[in-house]
Amino acid sequence: MEQEYAIEFNHVSKIYSLKSKDKKNTNDKRFYALKDINFKIPKGEVVGILGTNGSGKSTMSIILAGISDIDEGEMIVKGEQALIGIQLGLNQQLTGEENIELKGALLGLSKKKIEEIKQMVIDFAEIGDFLYQPVKKYSSGMKSRLGFSINLALNPDILIIDEALSVGDKGFAQKCLNKMNELKLEGKTIVFISHSLPQVREFCDKAMWIEGGMLKEYGNINDVCDHYAEYVDYYNHLSNADKKKERDAKFEKRIIPNSKKGFFSSLLRW
Amino acid sequence: MFKSMKYVIHENFTNLFRIYSISKYELLADMRDTRLGLFWNFAHPLIQVLTYWFAFGVVFNKKDVMVYNVSVPYIFWMMGGMVIWFFISPCITNGCNAIFSKTNVITKMKFPVSVLPATVVLKELFNHFCLMIILFIIYFIFGVYPTIQWIELLYYCFSAVIFSISLSLTTSVLNMLIRDTRKMILAIMRLLLYLTPILWNLNSLNSMPRWVGYIMKANPIYYLVQGYRDCFFYHKGILFYHNSMILFWLITFILFAFGSSMMYKFKHKFIDMI
Repeated sequence: MEQEYAIEFNHVSKIYSLKSKDKKNTNDKRFYALKDINFKIPKGEVVGILGTNGSGKSTMSIILAGISDIDEGEMIVKGEQALIGIQLGLNQQLTGEENIELKGALLGLSKKKIEEIKQMVIDFAEIGDFLYQPVKKYSSGMKSRLGFSINLALNPDILIIDEALSVGDKGFAQKCLNKMNELKLEGKTIVFISHSLPQVREFCDKAMWIEGGMLKEYGNINDVCDHYAEYVDYYNHLSNADKKKERDAKFEKRIIPNSKKGFFSSLLRW
Repeated sequence: MFKSMKYVIHENFTNLFRIYSISKYELLADMRDTRLGLFWNFAHPLIQVLTYWFAFGVVFNKKDVMVYNVSVPYIFWMMGGMVIWFFISPCITNGCNAIFSKTNVITKMKFPVSVLPATVVLKELFNHFCLMIILFIIYFIFGVYPTIQWIELLYYCFSAVIFSISLSLTTSVLNMLIRDTRKMILAIMRLLLYLTPILWNLNSLNSMPRWVGYIMKANPIYYLVQGYRDCFFYHKGILFYHNSMILFWLITFILFAFGSSMMYKFKHKFIDMI
């Protein structure tokens, strides 16, 4: 029997346009944020996405979550996806409780469902009496705990977790990991985007390494993590001039030269 | 075209609870910010009305306004039109920012963007009802009593809502494409307040060529202003203004059709325009 895939990418590319430095040159360059990505994630798999800064991880996460559209290729997603990030649009003026209600409504939940998840969120976020205080009075840890808890309560089929565990103390991070392990056992597909190699190694089955907008490696967790760690070490040992050369080389590969000027020449960078 | 209109209407009606929640918490957050909260929703327009009344009513010594053989003191006449302006104006200015101001929402989750204009209008509608209550009280104290014709206010209010949503659909998308839209609209609103016969009566244009009056009457906002005043003072009924009515709904329909096709076309692209 053919294996069922939750996410399939066929030659997916995402293009941003860049403004040229020279104002007279109206030919805006275009830039591959992601270039020709192919992979399949089977249902119930936990995949970690690794990559240095600016390699396209965040672009990947918003594309996976269905927020941003792709420019080339084909993406097939089976199931409801949800993006879980650190910076959540919590309203500073509203109390924690009101934020739960608002966020629930924004995510399209019914009133009844919101009441149901409210208690779960309150228990999980551990904010106690701060629930009735405006969010602006929260510590940054509390804010991210609240935001993270609301998203976790949603119970989607596919979770895309974008550096969510890099905030909050060890205790809360562990709690989140436990919760995610629970979800894993329930058979959810999880895409885990993180800088932290130990967390990825511990939690994921497979890993994907994106470098310079291209898929460098996708496979067994330990192999990919080892190769990635090697690369980071190698990069860090380069002299500053060599680092720049390497960056420029990567950048050059992503440029689409001399394209016609798009209708929107707004500069975008993640 | 019809596909996109169907899409926008469908998205709005399936997300009524979302629209309601967003507006409710927007309002709440606004009020939280200040100590007096709701008080400012009333005080701000009242002070503005008093300013105009002082400038035009007292300094320029405007006489009672005589239309259709009904004479109305200037201040009441002005307030009757101003009350709908205080609804339309923030709808237009905030409406064009509807999508852009929700950046933190649309970049974080899959979100039906086309409901955002409706949330802005719903929020302003609440303020409008507050103002209407104040207006009724003032009218009542000074002897303008409600009549059965005041029920038609509901029709005009509904028209204003549909018009604002249609216009905001268009302007909010345009504002995402070109951020200058908002600046332009803010500038135009100043102009529009004086170009729309709200503070002055259309009859005072008698010395001007006829077509000036026609152009003034073609303004959809004037249709609403005129409608509100008709309900309060003249009681001619909705159908009396059939020409303006047809034009008003035609403009609204075009705005809605254009706005929803833009919305449909760019629904997945907004995030790349921020």
